[in-house]
Amino acid sequence: MTTRRQFFGYAGAAAAGAAATGGAVVALAKDSTTPEPVSRTISPYGEHQVGIARGAPASAELVAFRLATDRAGLGRLMRLWTSDIVALTDGRPAPGDTAPELAVPNKGVTVTVGFGPRVFDLTGQKPRGLDDLPVMKHDRLQTTWSGGDLLLMVGADDAVSVVHAVRRLIADAKPFATPLWRQTGFWDSTGANGEPVTGRNLFGQVDGTGNPAFGTPEFDDTVWSTEDGFRGGTTLVVRRIRLNLDTWDELTRSEQERAVGRKLSTGAPLTGTAEHDELDLEARDADGRLVIARNAHARLSHHSENDGRRIFRKGLNYVHDTGATRESGLIFLSHQADIAGQFLPLLTRLDAVDALNEWTTTIGSAVFALPPGFQPGEWIGQSLLS
Amino acid sequence: MKTKLLLLLVPFLLGACGSNATQEAAVSTPGILVEDAWVRATTGAKDTTMTAAFLSLTNPGDTEVKLTSATSPIAAVVQLHEMAMQDGKMVMREKPGGITVPAGSHTHLSPGGDHIMLMSLKQPLKPGDEVPLTLKFSDNTTHDLKVPVKAFTEEEEHYHPTPSTK
Repeated sequence: MTTRRQFFGYAGAAAAGAAATGGAVVALAKDSTTPEPVSRTISPYGEHQVGIARGAPASAELVAFRLATDRAGLGRLMRLWTSDIVALTDGRPAPGDTAPELAVPNKGVTVTVGFGPRVFDLTGQKPRGLDDLPVMKHDRLQTTWSGGDLLLMVGADDAVSVVHAVRRLIADAKPFATPLWRQTGFWDSTGANGEPVTGRNLFGQVDGTGNPAFGTPEFDDTVWSTEDGFRGGTTLVVRRIRLNLDTWDELTRSEQERAVGRKLSTGAPLTGTAEHDELDLEARDADGRLVIARNAHARLSHHSENDGRRIFRKGLNYVHDTGATRESGLIFLSHQADIAGQFLPLLTRLDAVDALNEWTTTIGSAVFALPPGFQPGEWIGQSLLS
Repeated sequence: MKTKLLLLLVPFLLGACGSNATQEAAVSTPGILVEDAWVRATTGAKDTTMTAAFLSLTNPGDTEVKLTSATSPIAAVVQLHEMAMQDGKMVMREKPGGITVPAGSHTHLSPGGDHIMLMSLKQPLKPGDEVPLTLKFSDNTTHDLKVPVKAFTEEEEHYHPTPSTK
């Protein structure tokens, strides 16, 4: 059965004829008596880029590029990357791949492409709110991790697939763009019994509970742009946040939980029992103190405290070693239709008073517009560039 | 790669030839699918007047189809080539009758194997360029492609062997 799926996967991903392969689908499906194996091959086609509306990948790399070409060149790069992405996500070598055996199906490979604010000097029509974020009071930004004209984010179930895809995509981009920074991260969204879970950052906190659920109107309204020329796209904020694990570890458990307003064990709000229980922002303890403190991260970032503004955020844990010295942190990723309208007010508020600021320092910041998805025969960014 | 594809093909054919054969026949014959096309840059090559195009062909139909010819405005001569043993030496030569894509199977045009030879190039090709390429098939279909030029990453001899052995 696996072999059939692999065969069909190849033909089915072809750019030319959905109608043509339809015949083959019929022939295969009617004969199937054995259960379908779980495929981890994610089709690259869709209304939106397909890496966005899903959890953080187990393994990921983000690469920002400095662009050195004109509008026509950017179009050629996007067509080139699209053909690479179609092949690599299907587990086929990219055209001209020098290590074709490293392209393997069923690894959950996704590739997301973004444009930095400056790229819209070439295309015109910059999506609303797409400007570099102002430097926050607590930021200690390093140029090493900031800015960029293009973004690639490759995710997969394992690091070998990520590294291989990134290598091909960078090699093919060479005539057009040069890497500016690279960030590697990892996330575990599988529980002890194989069940899907929200996942934890390196502080040990369940991280990302407050997100709108996939497939809900709330999610769609939060994430997808409805702007003419950018409909179906979204924006991404990338913040590299260094975590001071040493001073965090000096806190008692209850101090750690108060800083966030959630229990470390389950991620439940301090006013609830289960992870997804709604926060009771008015609840007070026997001494009359707010159970979820005024400066608790969960309160400050809650949509009810932000005029209903929401974001869809993901995290990737990172470690960065220099000899025997390790820096630990979180690559914070936030999707929203409009950065200035949704994310910036939230960030400003958190920067002012979030209790977590004592143990976190943002050292990199970048913003990108992620164009809508593409269908067979189309290419990424086509609506913006053609 | 070829061996693997043949193995994959077996269950596919069994499925197609099962009890649903009649219904299967009613489905109109689908055409060839062209994927993963690229042209090797001439930058860095010994001979910058010729290069090759590579791609994958999938034939989802139930009859054999041949790639019969290719043309491109950037090359005065375009030929379909194969690599073959001749008098104990691997040589590159024009493939008589074109390149076959068997029913329900793939054919890969790749370095060291069948390829589309672009000769008497009108300009050097550098990575990042795009070149038009038109493919004609025995089922009278034509595919117009815009093919990316990619860096020269293997030895030239892999698809264009030197005439003498050491």
